[in-house]
Amino acid sequence: MDALSAVLQGLPMTLMLTLLAFTIGIIGAVPLAVGLSSSNVLVRLACRLFVDLVRGVPIIVWLFLLKFGIQIGTFKFNPVGAAIVGLGIVSVAYLAEIYRGGLQSVPRGQGEAAHALGLGRGTTFYGVMVPQAFRIVSPSIATYLTGLLKDSSIASTIIVTEMVFQSQAFARQHPTVEGILPYIIVGILYIVLSLPVAYLSRRLDSRMRKAIYA
Amino acid sequence: MTLSEIADGRIAPRFGIKLDNISKRYGDHVVLDDVSLHVEPGTVTALIGPSGAGKSTFLRCTNLLERPDSGTIQVGQHTIEPGKEVNSRDLAALRRTVGMVFQSFNLFPHMSALKNISFPQQKVLGRSKEEADERSMQLLERVGLKEKASQHPGRCSGGQQQRIAIARALALDPGIMLFDEPTSALDPEVGLEVLAVMRELAADGMTMIVVTHEMQFARDVSDTLVVMADCKIIEQGDPRAIMSDPQEARTRRFLRAVLER
Repeated sequence: MDALSAVLQGLPMTLMLTLLAFTIGIIGAVPLAVGLSSSNVLVRLACRLFVDLVRGVPIIVWLFLLKFGIQIGTFKFNPVGAAIVGLGIVSVAYLAEIYRGGLQSVPRGQGEAAHALGLGRGTTFYGVMVPQAFRIVSPSIATYLTGLLKDSSIASTIIVTEMVFQSQAFARQHPTVEGILPYIIVGILYIVLSLPVAYLSRRLDSRMRKAIYA
Repeated sequence: MTLSEIADGRIAPRFGIKLDNISKRYGDHVVLDDVSLHVEPGTVTALIGPSGAGKSTFLRCTNLLERPDSGTIQVGQHTIEPGKEVNSRDLAALRRTVGMVFQSFNLFPHMSALKNISFPQQKVLGRSKEEADERSMQLLERVGLKEKASQHPGRCSGGQQQRIAIARALALDPGIMLFDEPTSALDPEVGLEVLAVMRELAADGMTMIVVTHEMQFARDVSDTLVVMADCKIIEQGDPRAIMSDPQEARTRRFLRAVLER
C-alpha cells in the first residue's frame, strides 16, 4: 500500500489547513456579520463590498495572488502561509454571510423584548440574538466546514503538501494504472473525514432542538 | 402577598407618565399626530380603537421602542425629548421604570421559564442568581406557573407564555406596565387566565396602559378609556360613560362594531 502511505503523508497538512482556516473564519466572521447588519450605511457598505469581493473571486485565484502577488519589503508568503490566510479570508466572508442570515431570521420581537427589558446592546446580542441565530445556522456551518475540507485541496496548486498534492506526486512517479490508486484513496479519505462532521452537526442540532422543546 | 407587593419589589414607587405632543411619521405617512396623554399613578388606562389608529405605535413610543419625531415623555423625575439625542442613561432609566408585555409574548425560546425571568434581573438590576431565582419563583407562583419553571417556552401554552412574560416584566420592579394587545394572539378562553392576572395587578394599584380589544376588560378594569382613530386621540374619559354615550361619531361607529357583533 505505497499509495495509501503516500496519501496519508498529506493528511496532517489537510487537517491543519482546514482547521486553521475554519478557526479564522468562525471568529473573524463575527465582527463582519455585525458590520453587515450595521445601521451605519458606510460600515454596512464596506462590509458588503468585502464579502462580495472575496466571494466573487475563485479560491485558486486568491491563493495565487497571495502566494505570488504579495511582497512587502522582504516578506513573501510561503505556500502554507498563503493557503491558510487565503482559505481563512474566504471562510470569513462565507461564514459572515451565514451568520448574518441567522441573525436576521431571529424574530424582531426578540430584540424588542430585550430592549424593553432594558438589556444592554452586548447582552442583547450575545445573550439573546447569538444563541438563537447559532441554532439556526449550525447546519449551514457544518456544510461549510465539509466544503472547506475539500476546498483545502486547492492549496496543492501552490505546492502545499496536502493529500491531493501527495496523490499527484505519487501518480507522477507511477505512470501506470497504479497511478489512479491514490486518487481513489484520497476520495475515500475525504468522505471518511466529512462523515463525523455531518454526524456531529446533526447531533448538535437535534440536541439544541430538544433543549428548546423539552 | 399580593401581586403588587411582589411587583413593588422592595420599595418601587408608583409612577405616572405624561406624554405630550407626540408625533411620528414614516416618510410621508403620519402615524401619530400630536398626541398627548397623562396617566396618573396607580390608574389603568385602556387604549382602544380601530386597527391602524396608532395605538400600538403610541404605546411603543412610551418606552421608546419607536422613536417619536417630536414631543416629550415625562416619567417620575425624568423628562425625555425623543426628537433630540436621548442619552443612554435616560433611556436605561426609562426602560427600568416601564415594563412591557407584547402581543406575541417574545419570551426567549432558548431559556427556561425561570431563566427568562431571572436573566434580565441579573443583567439589569445586578441581582445574584440566587436572589433573582428566588424572586422569579415568587412571581411564577403568583401567576400560577411554579411547576413550569424548568420548562422552555416552546412547551408552554400561549396563555402560560403570556403569564410568564408578565412575570418577567414584573421581576424588574417597574413603576408602570404597558400591555400591547396581550390577549390578541390567544383564543378567548385562554385569554381569560391572562386577563385574570392583569385584573389582579390593576386591583393592586399598578399603573397600567393597555392596548386592547377586550371591551369587557376595558369597561370593568380601566379608570380611563382612551379612543384613538386616525392617528389621534378622539375621545377619553370614564369608560362606562364613553361606552354608553360616545360623543364622537367615529367612536360610536367603532363601538357598534365591537360591541354589537
